[in-house]
Amino acid sequence: MTTATAMTVEAAPPAASPPGLGLLLRIRLAVLRNRVRQLTDQSPARLLLVLLFVAIIWIALYMLFDYVFRFMRRDQFEQQAVIAIPYVFHIFFVAMTFLLTFSTAVIVYSTLFSGREPSFLIAAPNHPRSIVAVMYLEALFFASWSLLLLGVPLMMAIARVQGLSWQFYATFLVAFLGFVPIPGSLGLAAAWAVAMWLPRSAKRAVFWGAAILLILVILWWGRLWALSSGSSSDWLKGFMREMSYLKNALLPSTWVTNAIRLSIDGKFAPAAFYLGVTLSNALFLSWLCINVVGAGYGRAFGRAHAAPTHTTVYSGWASHWLTAVAFFYLPPRLRALILKDVRTFLRDPMQWSQLLILFGLLSLYLTYLPRTRPEGFTLQWKAFICFLNYGAVTLILSTFTSRFVFPLISIEGQQMWLVGLWPVPRGRIMWAKFAFAMTITLTAGMGVTLLSIRALNLPVSLAIVQAVGTFAACVGLCGLAVGLGAKLPNYEQRSAGRIASGLGGTVNLIASIAVVTGVVVVMGIICYRMAVLTESTQLDALGWALFAFMAALGLGTGVTAMQTGIASFRDAEF
Amino acid sequence: MSILIQKVTKCYGRKRAVDGISLEVRAGELFAFLGPNGAGKTTTIKMMSGLLRPDEGTVHICGHAMAADALMAKSKMSYVPDEPFLYEKLTAREFLRFVGQMYSLPDDVSQRRAAALMERLNITGFADQLAEGFSHGMKQKVVLAAALLHDPEVLIVDEPMVGLDPGGMRTVKDLFRERALSGKTVFMSTHTLDIAESIADRIGIINQGQIVACGTLAELKARAAREHRLEDIFLDVINPMAAEMGGPVEAMAGRG
Repeated sequence: MTTATAMTVEAAPPAASPPGLGLLLRIRLAVLRNRVRQLTDQSPARLLLVLLFVAIIWIALYMLFDYVFRFMRRDQFEQQAVIAIPYVFHIFFVAMTFLLTFSTAVIVYSTLFSGREPSFLIAAPNHPRSIVAVMYLEALFFASWSLLLLGVPLMMAIARVQGLSWQFYATFLVAFLGFVPIPGSLGLAAAWAVAMWLPRSAKRAVFWGAAILLILVILWWGRLWALSSGSSSDWLKGFMREMSYLKNALLPSTWVTNAIRLSIDGKFAPAAFYLGVTLSNALFLSWLCINVVGAGYGRAFGRAHAAPTHTTVYSGWASHWLTAVAFFYLPPRLRALILKDVRTFLRDPMQWSQLLILFGLLSLYLTYLPRTRPEGFTLQWKAFICFLNYGAVTLILSTFTSRFVFPLISIEGQQMWLVGLWPVPRGRIMWAKFAFAMTITLTAGMGVTLLSIRALNLPVSLAIVQAVGTFAACVGLCGLAVGLGAKLPNYEQRSAGRIASGLGGTVNLIASIAVVTGVVVVMGIICYRMAVLTESTQLDALGWALFAFMAALGLGTGVTAMQTGIASFRDAEF
Repeated sequence: MSILIQKVTKCYGRKRAVDGISLEVRAGELFAFLGPNGAGKTTTIKMMSGLLRPDEGTVHICGHAMAADALMAKSKMSYVPDEPFLYEKLTAREFLRFVGQMYSLPDDVSQRRAAALMERLNITGFADQLAEGFSHGMKQKVVLAAALLHDPEVLIVDEPMVGLDPGGMRTVKDLFRERALSGKTVFMSTHTLDIAESIADRIGIINQGQIVACGTLAELKARAAREHRLEDIFLDVINPMAAEMGGPVEAMAGRG
């Protein structure tokens, strides 16, 4: 008797009763447990490194907030602090409302309406409400990291500076927990609405939604900056007027802010009232959204999957023209390889939108910067802001090269049946990748650097240092990403994100941060010496030597990493 | 009737992916569902398994309407998609246990059946490894074991043989035949005509959203008016021009 036949004579399973939320939650916990166990068994160093970075970010934020609040408590700022601190809370929680709504919507959409897991769960006798509930809870868990990362050090700094009791800690933790589901349920409803009514263009809807929101924020921010050109009194009045609607009593951010503010003042009874308002709204909205989305989940899933994916016809002339112009110096064969990467870059909004948003915000700030000091900046301010700008540019560049440039070779390795048969030395393929990465990073990085130089009206010597420093950082970061991408590739993985977060990607990230730290520290010393020690717009001999070291660090790292990578790639087997 | 599809239509925008098809599959039958790419096979299967809702018409599984009584219908069936889904960070054994719980199987029954199925499909040696390291064929076997775990009345499988080695294919074919012999229903979509020819009780061919032929292999051959292999019949049915040139096959839609 075979197994299958034998099974059929067994007692039939009990009458079907849909498994509850508990089973789906347990399986998620099992997945999480296995993931952690695998990390601790196979790559404990990576886990420790991640924890270390989180701890460093957390401690740095705590120290920053602590410094700001102590600074504001000084006698001369006491009054301003009384006015400003509540606004800090309002702005923080309004920003968190948008951020959590958006991030929950994106996570919920991807878990409920795309991928293969929802198909698996729907085809089994699971109640749709249970599926929605578990995905919603998971999304809240992942989305709330940003609030915990930013909010906890903020609150702890306040508690320490003000010397608050333990009740404050309990209040803000409950306030956070109560607050998260409110934007989360809005995100759940938004994801469901996109699946129901915009299934053909879910990604575009999310992208344009975020873009419109960002533009509105930028415009509002611009208005705030514009106010700062007036006198202090006018500025304060205008600023308060602009911010007044953030304190609307119907906003969840106001309830949480009130709960925290009242607990800071030791008024725990009224604080508990606002906590109650927050928690009851969170529970009601979650209940409502889970039931509404659960009831309509099957229909929404069907619409999301029934709709044909948006098919755009690409003529490709723009990317062809762009490649021909930007990479004119490369031979036609390598230009063809680059054209493929240019098209991938342009057709993947994740890549160019990251650069566009981060450098766009930096550019906007640099455009408004001169208005804050119509009389111009002192040398000290110029050097300080120049140093900060340089740090911001290099950090953004390092995140871009780590996330998008590092996986280039690994992904190419999967097409080696095609690229590997080309009559082109592999070293030249590597240099073509380097040229591609350099062109993008240098265009974006140098554009912002030139804006910074213009906004600050930097002295020539400092302008040269910043511009050459940006170039050297680009060479170093691109060389590292391409070189280590070939030295530590992952040809098995098809997802660029996973390649970037793997062992090689982590090594590259650490190396990139080390390079950024190196050039930024040297830049800091140069700026400090100019602004404080020599108080001169000219670099002295030591200044030029430091400048040469900074340039050599970037260029040397890039070239060395490229040579190492080329040697590996030349001998690689696929 | 194990599977009853009545006048089902599904549109993707202006395109009628499935166009008013009707089909009946009885208990104890192994039904092979064939069709060229984009013919509407997967859409039909997704409507049968409750992943998509028909724009028109109804689907019943073991007498339960998928639209009105979805949970009961789903408890009677299993669906194995063309791309098997497994939780990458679960072992095969953990995954099977989870599936057993989803179908409310007692733990001891679930474990006994899981062990037997893993033995039969030759995956016992991998039972406690994370699924992320499995080949496509291994994943296919684990998903198949999960689908059979609660001994469903109806098994719906989309491309079951992709990625399987010859030994695995033989085992799966045997499993399907055994299920049909024991009174269960197997509904299998495939492009591998030889397999359909060798194990199916009846064969349905869908083209441009409509069932253009349905019957036993002998019936299809008889209607083709000459001795054909299934491959020739299939190509004739989906390509009328070729049919005219090589000996037409009558339209056989709805005759199954």
